[in-house]
Amino acid sequence: MVAGRYTLSMPTIDLHDVAKTYRGKVYALRGIEMQVPEGEIFGLLGPNGAGKSTLVKIMMTVIRPTRVSGTILGHPIGHRPTLRDVGYLPEHHRFPNYLTGTQVLHTYAALAGVERRLRRSRGVDLLNRVGLADWGHRKVSTYSKGMLQRLGIAHALMNDPKLLILDEPTDGVDPVGRREIRDLLVELRAEGRAIFLNSHLLSELEMVCDRVAILVKGQVAMQGTIETLTADSRRIEVDVEGDAPEWADEAFDTVESINGATRCALHGDDPVAVQPLIDRLRGEQRVVRAVRPVRESLEDLFMRAVEHVDSPGATERKP
Amino acid sequence: MMAFRALLVDAYRQLSAAKLFWITMGMSIVVVLAYGSIGFNDTGMSLFFGLVDIENEFFTAGSPWTRGLYIGIYSGFLVSLWLAWAATVLALISTCTIFPEFISGGAIDLTLSKPIGRWKLFAMKYLVSLLFVVLQVLVFCIGVFLCVGLRIGEWNPAIFVAVPIVSVFYSYLYAVSVLVGMITRSGITALLITGVFWMGLWSAQTAESVLNRFMTSAQVDLDRFGEAIDRQESIVAELTDKHGENDVRVAQRREQITTWQDDMEDAQELVDDIDDWYVPVSWALTVLPKTGQTIGLLDRWLSSADGFDLAAIMRGEMEEIEDFEPTTRLAREQETQRRMVDEYRGRSLWYVIGTSLLFEMGVLALAGLIFVRRDF
Repeated sequence: MVAGRYTLSMPTIDLHDVAKTYRGKVYALRGIEMQVPEGEIFGLLGPNGAGKSTLVKIMMTVIRPTRVSGTILGHPIGHRPTLRDVGYLPEHHRFPNYLTGTQVLHTYAALAGVERRLRRSRGVDLLNRVGLADWGHRKVSTYSKGMLQRLGIAHALMNDPKLLILDEPTDGVDPVGRREIRDLLVELRAEGRAIFLNSHLLSELEMVCDRVAILVKGQVAMQGTIETLTADSRRIEVDVEGDAPEWADEAFDTVESINGATRCALHGDDPVAVQPLIDRLRGEQRVVRAVRPVRESLEDLFMRAVEHVDSPGATERKP
Repeated sequence: MMAFRALLVDAYRQLSAAKLFWITMGMSIVVVLAYGSIGFNDTGMSLFFGLVDIENEFFTAGSPWTRGLYIGIYSGFLVSLWLAWAATVLALISTCTIFPEFISGGAIDLTLSKPIGRWKLFAMKYLVSLLFVVLQVLVFCIGVFLCVGLRIGEWNPAIFVAVPIVSVFYSYLYAVSVLVGMITRSGITALLITGVFWMGLWSAQTAESVLNRFMTSAQVDLDRFGEAIDRQESIVAELTDKHGENDVRVAQRREQITTWQDDMEDAQELVDDIDDWYVPVSWALTVLPKTGQTIGLLDRWLSSADGFDLAAIMRGEMEEIEDFEPTTRLAREQETQRRMVDEYRGRSLWYVIGTSLLFEMGVLALAGLIFVRRDF
């Protein structure tokens, strides 16, 4: 890989051995390996203190890593000119209260090197896109938390980035606003941008992310597409009225009683495999209430990743 | 350049959103109006746009003394007291939070994630932070320029020299405020420590000035009494030749010589004692910002070549003293004063501003290093 020449085959973010130690004894990140393909939405999960924001800040040069190798958009981490093509919304961001929404967009876009002509046109477009068209001339001190988040997303898009890094973008946003932000993220992905999303809201990530990584104690505990990560948990569940037949224990992988009914499950996602079992149940005149494919939710996955960890945050012990 | 312009516009918006900026501006305008209310006519001067008339034979319309007085009020009072003290305190209060707010969580992330190097960002932010003082002094100078032009008919662009002088003076203090703000992230702490630093500087400069006065005064005593003794001894020799040792005038003059020799011994003792203090204080001042002398540059540059300026009037240099005896107290005090003025005015720009800017650069380099190396 040649740094400085970003090609479509490269991951948008390609991190190797990212480590951050504070004062030589607090290990916040312990050798992160992570790849974010282009044009995908990538979700970063992890409990509080796992190092998610530290990782994001290292990518955005806000924090200096103890060790790092890898690239963003084909350039080494810390290469400032690359940041022209990266949009960033920090967690708990704070825009100056004396600026209006439009002034916020123009000021930070100018710092990102966006020309005045583009600032004007994009400013209007983006305020429309995030639903703040009527608020551009008002001071941000009058904005609600949700409006500030939407303004933050607009600000992150002012430089027309190839990569968008959003740290808790739906924090403080109402359900309608969250839905709008999700839709916006999907639109942005359709435009070919890679989106790196750091969020606590697992259900939201599950709805939009193509790929996730779970960070625990400064290390990647799991990483991959949601499909891959949940492959082992895939099963077909069959709900039957009444008690289970005697042969069910051998034919199904699991059998459990639920409120006077029986739930039988067969591992895998092959519908053909379950057909003879359904036929047999029907042959015994049993009432089949439901047949559905099931997989682990992102929340289940997350809980599985952290279940053996007493304190999932940074540690003072050397890894 | 685009980023610098953006930060500059942002700094203006930040300042114009602060009430204290407009309060300071309003007070500056009141001071300028008070200055402009001083008028001159054929019989003397008037105050408050003619409400109070003061008859005076020196300060009449067109007199060079009038020019000295009017310009002197500007450089000696308006700049030295208003701009260099009151307005500077207000400016420090207004700007002490700029850097702590700039590096506060949630705000700094937005800026550091832009494609600008940290050193460059720090330098640009520092420069635009000086906008408060530049704007205030510029508006003030425009007002004074108009007053001087309309009142004494002198359209003197040198009045605007106050803009860089006061800005540089302010920057010495602001650099300390930035360093403390960078370390503590607290505007109030930055303000307090800068205030203490300023008072320390003032004390050191006052101590240097007082010690210098004693030293110069003692040196004048040594020179003048030495010359007087030489003169007196030649007179004694003449008298002895003509009238013999027993002439009463010889005895009187020898008594006088003895008194002066005692005075010289006292002066020499004083020089030796003070030198132990003066040398370390003046060395310390060499590396510290010279706030008083920086503001004093304005007085130096605005003084008229003919010597009619308020500072000279206040020093008593305008008094006509003919045939005075150089050993009298008044003569020695005047010479001490003149030597001190000559010495301070003889200090180079490099010494006054150069060494002060070196100190400022050192402080800023430390603050910049913290900014560049810190994880936010």
